[in-house]
Amino acid sequence: MFLHTFKYDFRQCLRQKELTFWLILFPIILGSFFKVAFSELYEKTVKFDAVPIAVVETEKNAVFDQVIEQVSTGEDALFKVTRTDMKNAEKMLKDEKVTGIISTGDLSVEFSSSGIDQTIVKSFIQQYKTQEKIITDTATNAPEKLDTVISALSTDIESNKNIPFADDLDTTVQYFYNLLAMVALFGAMSGVFVAINNQGNLSSLGARKCCSPVNKLTSITAGLSAHCVVQTICMIVAVSFLAFILKIDFGDRLGLVYLSSIVGGFMGVAMGFFIGSFGRLSEGVKMGIIMAVSMLSCFLSGLMVNNIKALVSEYVPVFNEINPAAVISDTYYCLAIYDDYSRYIRKMITMIILTVFFTLGGYILTRRRKYASL
Amino acid sequence: MGNTIVKIDNLVKRYKELIALDHFSLEIEEGEIFGLLGPNGSGKTTTINCLLSLLAYDKGNIEIFGEKMTPVNYKVKKEIGIIMQNVAVFDELTVYENIDYFCGLYIKDKETRRKYVDEAIAFVGLEDFVKFYPKKLSGGLLRRLNIACGIAHKPKLIILDEPTVAVDPQSRNKILEGIQELNKQGATIIYTSHYMEEVEQICTRIAIMDKGKKIAEGTKDELKRMIKNTETLTIEILDLSDEMLEKIRALNHVYETDYSDSRLEVRFSGGKHNLIHVLNLLQENNVSFSRAYSELPTLNDVFLEITGKALRDKE
Ligand SMILES: Nc1ncnc2c1ncn2[C@@H]1O[C@H](COP(=O)(O)OP(=O)(O)OP(=O)(O)O)[C@@H](O)[C@H]1O
Ligand SMILES: [Mg+2]
Repeated sequence: MFLHTFKYDFRQCLRQKELTFWLILFPIILGSFFKVAFSELYEKTVKFDAVPIAVVETEKNAVFDQVIEQVSTGEDALFKVTRTDMKNAEKMLKDEKVTGIISTGDLSVEFSSSGIDQTIVKSFIQQYKTQEKIITDTATNAPEKLDTVISALSTDIESNKNIPFADDLDTTVQYFYNLLAMVALFGAMSGVFVAINNQGNLSSLGARKCCSPVNKLTSITAGLSAHCVVQTICMIVAVSFLAFILKIDFGDRLGLVYLSSIVGGFMGVAMGFFIGSFGRLSEGVKMGIIMAVSMLSCFLSGLMVNNIKALVSEYVPVFNEINPAAVISDTYYCLAIYDDYSRYIRKMITMIILTVFFTLGGYILTRRRKYASL
Repeated sequence: MGNTIVKIDNLVKRYKELIALDHFSLEIEEGEIFGLLGPNGSGKTTTINCLLSLLAYDKGNIEIFGEKMTPVNYKVKKEIGIIMQNVAVFDELTVYENIDYFCGLYIKDKETRRKYVDEAIAFVGLEDFVKFYPKKLSGGLLRRLNIACGIAHKPKLIILDEPTVAVDPQSRNKILEGIQELNKQGATIIYTSHYMEEVEQICTRIAIMDKGKKIAEGTKDELKRMIKNTETLTIEILDLSDEMLEKIRALNHVYETDYSDSRLEVRFSGGKHNLIHVLNLLQENNVSFSRAYSELPTLNDVFLEITGKALRDKE
C-alpha cells in the first residue's frame, strides 16, 4: 500500500508545474542573475588593503614568524599584524579591530564573520600549510636558502591574492547560500500538498482518501516520502548548478554541502506539512502563507539585504539559531569557513530537530479521524 | 433480500446552531437501489458523510454489514465504493492512473487490478480518454471518471452522492443504466439526488428528506399512495374567466386548481374519467382550449404535498 501510494504521489509531484518552477527554474534563474550582477560589481570595486590580523603565540614557530614577517612588510603588505595574547586578540576580534586570529601552534584561524578579508587569511594559511614541510626542511637542512624559499612562497600568496576575489568566497557567496536555503524552504509547498490531500476537511480528495481502507499514517508517510525524494532531486540539481556551472565556491567538502541541502529540503517539506495541517484555510491561502513564511525566513537570514542577519543576531540571537533559512545557509557557511566540524554538526542537528518537530506536529494535527464539519 | 446492509439509528448531527440531521433513521437491505431524495440542503450529503465516518455526529448509531462503522473499520471500508458529490480526482494523473490509484487502495493484486481498471473504463465509456488529464475532460466525462474511481474495485455497497449534477441527458441516462447494471451484478446502491425523475426511474425504495428529517419512505408506488393526489390535468386555455374556474373547482374529486400563463392545472384525488368531465364542461361553456393531458402523481407531487403540510403546520 505504501509503495502504491508512493508511486502515484511521486508522479503527481513530478508533474506539478509550480513545483518545477520554484524548485528547479527559480534557483537557476536567480542564481545566474546573482552571478552576473556580482561579478560586475567586483571587477569595479575591489581594491586591496592590508588585512588586520592578530597573531597569538600559542607555541614557538620560528618559520611561521619569519613568513608572517615577510608578508606583512613592504609596500603591498598582505597583512597588518598585531602580536598579542588570546584574551586581547579575542577582544580585538569582537571589536572588529582585526579580521581574524591566527594561533602559531596549530595554525588555526578564528573569524567572527565572513568576507573577502577572511578569505585572504584563510587561503594564506592553507597555502602555508601545504608548503610548510618544504619550508621547515629548508630551515633545518639549508638555512641559508630559507629566505629564497619564503620570498617564493610570499610571491605565491601575493599572486594568489588576486584570484580569490575573482572567485566567490566573499560576502556575495552568502547570497548563494541563502538562495539554496530558499529552494529548500520552497519544499514547504510540497508539504502543504501532502497535508491538504490527506485531510478529509481540507479537500474532497482528502475526504475521498479517508473513505478508503488505507491507514492515514501510511498515506501521509508515503506522500511525504515521495515529496522528499523529489525535493532531494531538486536540491541536487540546484547545488550542482551553483557549484559546477556558476562555479560558486562551497569549499572543498562538496559532499557535505549536498548533504546539508538534502536535509534542508526535508526540513522544508516538513515545515510545509506542519503549516498545511493547521486550521481550515483554503489551499491558496495556505500556499500564500507558506510563501510568505519562507520569504520572511530568507529575508531575515539575509537573502535580500545582507546585514539583516547581523541585526537579528544582535537583537534576537536565538532567532538565527532556529530560523530555518538561517540554519540552512549557516551550514554552508560553516563548511566554507571552519575547518572543524563542530559548528556544522550543531547546525545539522538543529535542522534534524526542526524536521522531526514539524513532522510530528503535523502528524498530531492530522491524526484526527472524524471531522466536525467538512 | 432480508439482509440488512446499512442501519442508521436516530442520527443527530449539528453544525454549531444548525441541526443538519434530526433523529434520522434508515435501514437498507441487500440488493436494493435505495434513493435518498431531498432538496438542496436537506442533509443528504451530511447523512452520507456520517455513514462513512467522515463526520463526527452528536448522537445515533451506524452499522454497515452488521458492524459498527468507525473510521478505522477498514474491513467495512474495503467493501464500500463511494462517489462523492464533489469530484475527487488528481489533476496531475491521467484518467487511467486515477482509476488505478483508487482501485489500488482496495485491490493489491496487480493482475486483478488491471482487469478491474479496464472493466471500469469500459463501464463508464472512457476508453478513448485513458491518457487524458482531468482538466481536459468535459464536466460529464469528469463525472464519469469520478464514478469509475469509486466502483473499479467492485464494492458490495456503492454510495453515489448526486453523480449526475451538471451532466447532459445522454450521459445521465448512461450513468443511470450503469447503476442498474451494477445492481444486477450484486451491489447494493445508495443514490442521492434532488431530481425526482432519476430516483423514480431507478430506485427500488426511496426515502424523502427535508430539513434533516425523513418525511416519507417506501417504494415509489407506496409513496404515491400516501398522498391524496391521484391525477393532475394540464390544459392550455388562452382565456379563462374566474367564473369558469369556480365551476371547474366545483367538480367532483377536484381539490386544487391553478391558472397561470394560459395553463390550467387541476388536481384530483380519486375519481374516474376526470379528463373527460373537465373537457365536457369546457365545451358546454364554449371555452376553447389547445392542449390537454393527464399525469399520474410523481414524486414531485409527493414531496410538494408532504412538505407543504409541514409548512402549514408551522403557521
Ligand atoms: N460544513 C458545514 N458547516 C455548516 N453547515 C453545513 C456544513 N455542511 C452542510 N451544512 C448545512 O447542513 C445542511 C445539510 O447540508 P447537506 O450538504 O447535507 O445537504 P444536501 O442534502 O447534500 O444538499 P445538496 O443537494 O445541496 O447537496 C444545510 O443546511 C447546509 O447548509
Ligand atoms: Mg449534497
